[in-house]
Amino acid sequence: MSFEAEIDKIEADTILSGKPFFSRPSGKIFLIWLPLTIVGVLIGLYAPHHLLPVLQSPEGGDVFATIVFFTVLAAPVAALVYAISFYSLIAWRHKGEDPDVPPPDAEPQRENGPMTVLWLVVSTFLVVVLLFWGITVWSAQQIVHPNALQVNVTGQQWLWTYSYPGTGVETRNLELPLNRPVQFNITSKDVTHGFWPAVLGVQVDANPNVTTVIRTTPNKLGGFTVQCSQLCGLYHAFMNNKASVVTPAQFATWLQSNGANRISAAVAAGTTPVAATTAAVSS
Amino acid sequence: MTTAVAPPLLEDTKLGPKAGGFYRRQNIWTGLGFGIFLGFVAWVVSHATIQGSNWGSDMVVTCTMLGWVIGFNVGMGTFNAPIRWMLGHDQTHEDELYAAGVSQGSSRYFKFCTDHKVVGTQYLVLVMVLFAVGGTLAMMIRTQLITAHSSFLDPQTYNAIVTVHGMVMIIATIIMVSGPFANFIMPIMIGAKDMAFPRLNAMSFWVVFSAVPCLLATFFLGGVNAGWTTYAPLSVQAPPAMDAFAMTIIVFVVSVTVAGVNTIVTVATMRAKGMTMGRLPIFTWGSVVGGALGLYAMPAFLVVMTMMITDRATGTSFFVPEMGGSQWLWENIFWIMGHPEVYVILIPPVAAVLEIASTFARKPVFGYKVAIAGFIAIASLSIMVWAHHMFTTGWAPNLAGPFMITTELISIPTGIIFLCTIGTLWRGSIWTRLPMYFVYLFIWNFIIGGVTGIYLSDVPADQFFHGDMFVTAHFHYTLLGGAMIGATAAVCYWFPKVTGRMLNERIGKVAFWTIALGIQVTYFGQFWEGFQGMARRIAQYNPQFQTANQMSTIGAYILMTGWIIFLYMMLNAWRRGKIAPANPWHAKTLEWKVPTPVPLENFVVDPVVTSDPYTYGEGVPDGQVVPEFAPTKEPELVPAGSAASGEPTATGGTN
Ligand code: HEM
Ligand SMILES: [Cu+2]
Ligand SMILES: [Cu+2]
Repeated sequence: MSFEAEIDKIEADTILSGKPFFSRPSGKIFLIWLPLTIVGVLIGLYAPHHLLPVLQSPEGGDVFATIVFFTVLAAPVAALVYAISFYSLIAWRHKGEDPDVPPPDAEPQRENGPMTVLWLVVSTFLVVVLLFWGITVWSAQQIVHPNALQVNVTGQQWLWTYSYPGTGVETRNLELPLNRPVQFNITSKDVTHGFWPAVLGVQVDANPNVTTVIRTTPNKLGGFTVQCSQLCGLYHAFMNNKASVVTPAQFATWLQSNGANRISAAVAAGTTPVAATTAAVSS
Repeated sequence: MTTAVAPPLLEDTKLGPKAGGFYRRQNIWTGLGFGIFLGFVAWVVSHATIQGSNWGSDMVVTCTMLGWVIGFNVGMGTFNAPIRWMLGHDQTHEDELYAAGVSQGSSRYFKFCTDHKVVGTQYLVLVMVLFAVGGTLAMMIRTQLITAHSSFLDPQTYNAIVTVHGMVMIIATIIMVSGPFANFIMPIMIGAKDMAFPRLNAMSFWVVFSAVPCLLATFFLGGVNAGWTTYAPLSVQAPPAMDAFAMTIIVFVVSVTVAGVNTIVTVATMRAKGMTMGRLPIFTWGSVVGGALGLYAMPAFLVVMTMMITDRATGTSFFVPEMGGSQWLWENIFWIMGHPEVYVILIPPVAAVLEIASTFARKPVFGYKVAIAGFIAIASLSIMVWAHHMFTTGWAPNLAGPFMITTELISIPTGIIFLCTIGTLWRGSIWTRLPMYFVYLFIWNFIIGGVTGIYLSDVPADQFFHGDMFVTAHFHYTLLGGAMIGATAAVCYWFPKVTGRMLNERIGKVAFWTIALGIQVTYFGQFWEGFQGMARRIAQYNPQFQTANQMSTIGAYILMTGWIIFLYMMLNAWRRGKIAPANPWHAKTLEWKVPTPVPLENFVVDPVVTSDPYTYGEGVPDGQVVPEFAPTKEPELVPAGSAASGEPTATGGTN
């Protein structure tokens, strides 16, 4: 290699080389990186709508937003790694005649302090952003509504039972009133199960002898499925049931059709107790 | 030894007719025979003495498995030397040579052989068998899931298969690099004549070998229906298969621990003169850090499985909530093992990837010290993150925040490893031989695995994703797409040294593209299932998930085809591939400076180490050389395996 070529090679990627940005490796890598990033960001923005089920609670909304945000944030990073690796194959690949003969040694570069520090700083910064996001969202979810609708959930091999304290209702199908905070108190009769109403964006295990709690507020009408998320034996795959979010009035009616009296149904549904009381007295 | 004439090769030593003592009569058949015999005795005795009590069958299975493992190892000769030593006789030098395989041809591969290269080769074959078993089970799972309500497998069988698939693959991936390459290659890399404890080395192989039948026996003992994580209390109530499963782990941990100690001590004490810690090839560092992390993690596995057996067989109640135990105790100890364990799997193949990237970019490893610091940081952090597997178990919700922090912090050293890999490729002279293909595939896959890990470590998002196919896709991208592809690069890279043959790269590239495509289709299908909210480990599913499942199943068949082609390429080359030169990649680490096949005790004359092995392009003389083997004159080539028969070898060996 001639001296000029040597210098050329060293300077090729620096501003000193005087070459326009796009004819330097970093410029070309940028040209690969940009479309990849755009594709990644677009996937992050649009794919979740098509892939995720309709999420029916603020916690579900958090899941959605987190997926979008993380994908958008990860896209440029992943795209950078892809771009460099693609570029190395395009530009630095050795095409010798004899595949058994190695290419001449490359310009050795054992380390690059500033680059390493920059990489560390940027990745630390990104991690801090992710953590800030995660912790903020998580702590915002910790609000306890004192008047939340209580639902006791019992897992057993291989079905779920729901009971609504105060109403005497016990069912195999979960119904929840719209926009009413709900607290699930979950336990198990036998082994560990996982109470997973996926579209509500919350889940927790059902463990024998202890009660675990999750809270949410359904904010969209519609049916969904509760699945068991913890392998619990033979018929684990079949341990799921229908559930739905309905209007408070429908919910009160549903409770009554499952054996609740009018007052307790109305109290549970959070519908106007006066009307309910009158109705109860007149009957 | 500085004589001009090369000393004779050790394998040409003529041994007396009594050399080796008992070893002469022991091989895999005496092992199997004795194992079955002692297993049977243990079964009869335990049956007769414990029969009738509540937990009889658990005791019987445990004793039978223990009988088999001990019997097998007695039959193999694992305990010969310590027993003779206790009786007051030490092994003679001839005995040791016999145990190292001198003058036994290829039968030494079926014996208790202390030569680290034989042990490494044995491990390689075992790993391939395990992957074949685990892969077959995986294909059964994917076939079952091709339609929503398939009846190919009944739920009972399905659960048992899911469990054994997981555990076989975990065992296989833990040993896939530390077994073959930390044994065969690493000692040569550091200029050692063998591992520090050759007998323990052979033991570590035959012990893990004897664990495998215990795991497969679970199918005939009712099947373990609790997944590889065997969460209590389900696993406490599971059929006796669970005892065999627990025994598998206990025996396996013994093997991994012994191997880990051996690796660390070897690097600490057996390095050639001049091979300082700062000159060690990066793969050696990876093996040491991975081995050390294993020493931290694996004992927890042994402990938790022992507690499981006492719960089941003797009536303790560590994990039985009704009797004051706690399922969360199980989950905690399990994941204290479980998370570090994934890095025990990952670090050695990543180190191999850096090694290979350097050779095929004809450049030094970028940021050698930074990469080592990265490995150590990953290992240290990884012992503090286990509860990210327990975000939704209800245990200590207040700790979700701290564990989210520690988990996401691991991304920083992981990113550093990426920097070192990419930095090594940067402006390299990229030589795209087969191993390099897999290095690139490792990079492309592992970034997806790492990114999706971050979604899971975010507690609010994990409320959706836990127990979902998204987790399955995540860890297959990291374990298969990352670790196993890295190990595949290592296989392609060191194959010529291990077998003395070259792989057919044309077939290899067909395998490569098929595997690369198969991975994406399979696991993107699973990400899709995961986004839609399909639970893991279910035998039948809601028809809304069917399209995604079919994509994944089709991908799995593509992937299987790729591996079969790869396997064909390997076996074909092993039998009749082109004879490999000693240093086909013109690499600078020491294992390439010894002849192929590598003679017993590797170095006839001690290597001279004056720098690290990454002097590409620095215009200085190579700082890691073996004087005996001058690379300038092309040696006469002889296939591997013939060394023991005393023919002249690539050293130009005199005899
Ligand atoms: C940036 C790096 C990573 C992060 C942040 C991360 C995070 C996580 C989290 C939070 C989970 C739990 C998900 C859940 O069950 O809800 C998980 C599961 C898992 N991860 Fe990763 N991970 C990373 C890298 C890796 C690597 C490198 C491997 C293996 C080589 C790996 C293997 C696994 C396995 C096997 C599981 C599932 C275990 C099971 O439940 O069966 N992960 N990961
Ligand atoms: Cu279940
Ligand atoms: Cu983990």
